[in-house]
Amino acid sequence: MGSYLIRRVVRTLLVMLGISLVVFVFVRSIPGDPAVAMLGERATPEAAAALREQLGLNKPWFFNPANPMDAQYPKYMGALLQGDLGSGLKSNIPVISELKSRFPATAELSVAALLFALVVGMPTGILAALRRNSGWDNLATGISLVGVSMPVFWLGLLLSYFFAVKLGWLPPSARLGYEYTIEPVTGFYLIDSVIRGNGGAFWDALKHLILPAIALGSIPLAIISRITRSSLLDVLGQDYVRTARAKGLAANAVTIKHALRNALLPVVTVIGLQAGALLGGAVLTETIFSWPGIGSWVYEAISQRDYPIIQGGVIFAALVVSVVNLLVDLSYAALDPRIQYN
Amino acid sequence: MKKLFLTALLATLPAASAATLVFGNNGEPVSLESGNITDGISILVQRQIYDTLVDFKNGTTDLAPGLATSWSSNANATSWTFKLRPNVKFHDGTAMNADAIVFNLRRWWDKADPYGFRDQGRTFEIIGDLLGGYKGDPTAVIKDIVKVDNMTVRVDLNKPSSVLPNVLAAGYFGIASPAAIKKDGAKYGTPASKAVGTGPFIFQSWRTGDRVVMTPNKSYWGEKAKVDELVIRNIKDASQRLNEMKAGTIDFANDLTPDSLKSVQADKNLVAVKRPSFNVGFVSMNNRNQYLKNDKVRQALSMAINKKAIVDAFWNGLAVSNASFLPPVLAWANSSKVPADYKFDPAAAKKMLADAGYPNGISIDLWYMPVSRPYFPNPKPIAEAIAADLSAIGVKVTLKTEDWAKYLQDRNAEPGFDMYMIGWTGDYGDPDNFYGAYYGQNGSSDISWNPPEVQKLLEQGRAATTQAAKAKVYAQLHELTYNAAYRVPIAHSQPLAAARSYVKGWVPSPLGSESFNTISIDGKK
Repeated sequence: MGSYLIRRVVRTLLVMLGISLVVFVFVRSIPGDPAVAMLGERATPEAAAALREQLGLNKPWFFNPANPMDAQYPKYMGALLQGDLGSGLKSNIPVISELKSRFPATAELSVAALLFALVVGMPTGILAALRRNSGWDNLATGISLVGVSMPVFWLGLLLSYFFAVKLGWLPPSARLGYEYTIEPVTGFYLIDSVIRGNGGAFWDALKHLILPAIALGSIPLAIISRITRSSLLDVLGQDYVRTARAKGLAANAVTIKHALRNALLPVVTVIGLQAGALLGGAVLTETIFSWPGIGSWVYEAISQRDYPIIQGGVIFAALVVSVVNLLVDLSYAALDPRIQYN
Repeated sequence: MKKLFLTALLATLPAASAATLVFGNNGEPVSLESGNITDGISILVQRQIYDTLVDFKNGTTDLAPGLATSWSSNANATSWTFKLRPNVKFHDGTAMNADAIVFNLRRWWDKADPYGFRDQGRTFEIIGDLLGGYKGDPTAVIKDIVKVDNMTVRVDLNKPSSVLPNVLAAGYFGIASPAAIKKDGAKYGTPASKAVGTGPFIFQSWRTGDRVVMTPNKSYWGEKAKVDELVIRNIKDASQRLNEMKAGTIDFANDLTPDSLKSVQADKNLVAVKRPSFNVGFVSMNNRNQYLKNDKVRQALSMAINKKAIVDAFWNGLAVSNASFLPPVLAWANSSKVPADYKFDPAAAKKMLADAGYPNGISIDLWYMPVSRPYFPNPKPIAEAIAADLSAIGVKVTLKTEDWAKYLQDRNAEPGFDMYMIGWTGDYGDPDNFYGAYYGQNGSSDISWNPPEVQKLLEQGRAATTQAAKAKVYAQLHELTYNAAYRVPIAHSQPLAAARSYVKGWVPSPLGSESFNTISIDGKK
């Protein structure tokens, strides 16, 4: 187990190194120059060239014959190895400090979205499997289809309009009303407000979290529901379930004790896969809901070609996905005694 | 424990003051460092915190005293002297005086200034754009910045400029506390630092990705703010800005889409607010194209576009059509000898195209931007309408687009686009700010047309010291560019803003942002 963990950590680090190189080349290969994006309509060729020079973007990417270290990638990696991801090209805000303040927002939203997807998706999937081909099964299929095919930004705007503007039940966007401030401890507003004993802020943060979590959770919900259904159907047809039934066990006991636990394995896999999808979905959800997370920040950086922010954001997202997948693999062993890491 | 927690939950009610004014900004400010920004979102926030040396009268582009109470130039406008307002303090208690002004101007203009922090990524590119360059550059407008006495600053120029006070009044050039900049160093202007100016609001906090919070400056020299707190929230999506306003979670916002007008008017809690237009959306034609280098072809195309119909269809009446390259407030600089722009006349256009030698028409590309801009809120349908108008006189149009950053780059790179949509929003109220951006040596190189007489007129315009003298020069430039017909003005849009009905005293500036110190909350929120 210990040696397995070490292997995984080393592999993750190698992946991060690879990603840093790929994203470095990739962002610089996107047509469109940060200096031009920054200047907008003002971008005459002369002005853009002068700004590129000021920003050090005219230096070679990998190797400067005159001075080997005076190239963009070696400089970037030199700083990265010291834990410095650079600063936003125009804002001069260190990428690290921005990640620190924004990651909790994205994490809180993603966890809430995943919880929503699980709490709704799994029961509908289970019911759909147990009542196969019934009206309920068809309804669950229909809901999944809508969830997967409706664009997140459209769903987000609809939710906002309906629940905030029409009904006035929930706030349309943001993470917290202007009446409240929460001094950060963990960065998760729901946890911090409780630690600080600020009940008003807790409810307000919860209200702000509901709509974006539903919007972001809609696609994982649909996928989890379908996977739960097919995986449970698969397990219910297995010999050991038939044996259990033949032994005269109650149907519910069979389903819950024997079948469900084994049917959960693929669902756990999907949760791991969804970690990346959630980070991707967060880009649109956060932009629509003015959510101060990593998604909306990287989205803006891409349109502005802000290289350090895009690089930092992508490297960090890769790290998150790697860690989540490691946790998923470890939880396999807990769920299925046949799986062992050594 | 559980009981304690519940009590805590129930006991805490919001402690917000009744008079908190909440604005929905179009996104996150890039930086709160003055002189080092080019985007309207940052300017809007900075306008609250900083004063500029010269200011604008509310709702106009006319100059008014700011931190300088008066300014004057020598006879040929190569040296400007600014008399400063006495007894003004920065929010940190330090004095606003000649040293402070010189400190600000020098860090922007002198690349070697130790407080410019250029080695840490500062660029101050707006100085290069509006003032020709930096200390020592051959094209730089400013030659030197001098402290005359404790309350007087002189700016010496390399060439005549009658618009220096107008330029320094633009929202980029807020005057910041030298002490605060020295204290925070390269962090200044980021969320980890406090932006310190002399303005009507005092910066309190910037929660990244979310909001900037300010409180009124009780000892402000001008009109004091009438609210207890100002919160500027980032709401990037225009539909969400409207949703927030309808839900009452924000009080006012800018740049709603033109098609929201009906929805705003139908809501009894909201008031539509029109900003005076200070922009131009236009179509440019490229001299490098084999057809478009023919004067008659360009003139024919200019006559073929039904601008009024386009404005009615896509701006919901929130724009002025049939206007020149200059927005309405600068109409004094137009010629009386030529119309503002070509009249819509498809029959004449068709004949003109035939006279040019193309009775069977021509084929060209028309590029439109993929993003909404204040001057073209929905570029694609506008481009389609232009294409339909042109096809009516036998011009076959291929519509094209690409990513915004690339679009801006490719239009200026050889061979450029045949025909493309672009625009401009003014920084200050002078014709040079519009003409100079798209014509002459410092202008865009997108149409490959830069005759010496245009450059000469631009220089004369910058040197002219009275409005009458300017009007004469720009009238000639108007005639010249009208006949050349390289750029077809389509519209001057009035970006739609709105406020909840209790928001009183908001005077939107044509320049896109203004101080909120005139606003009061009247009645119950």
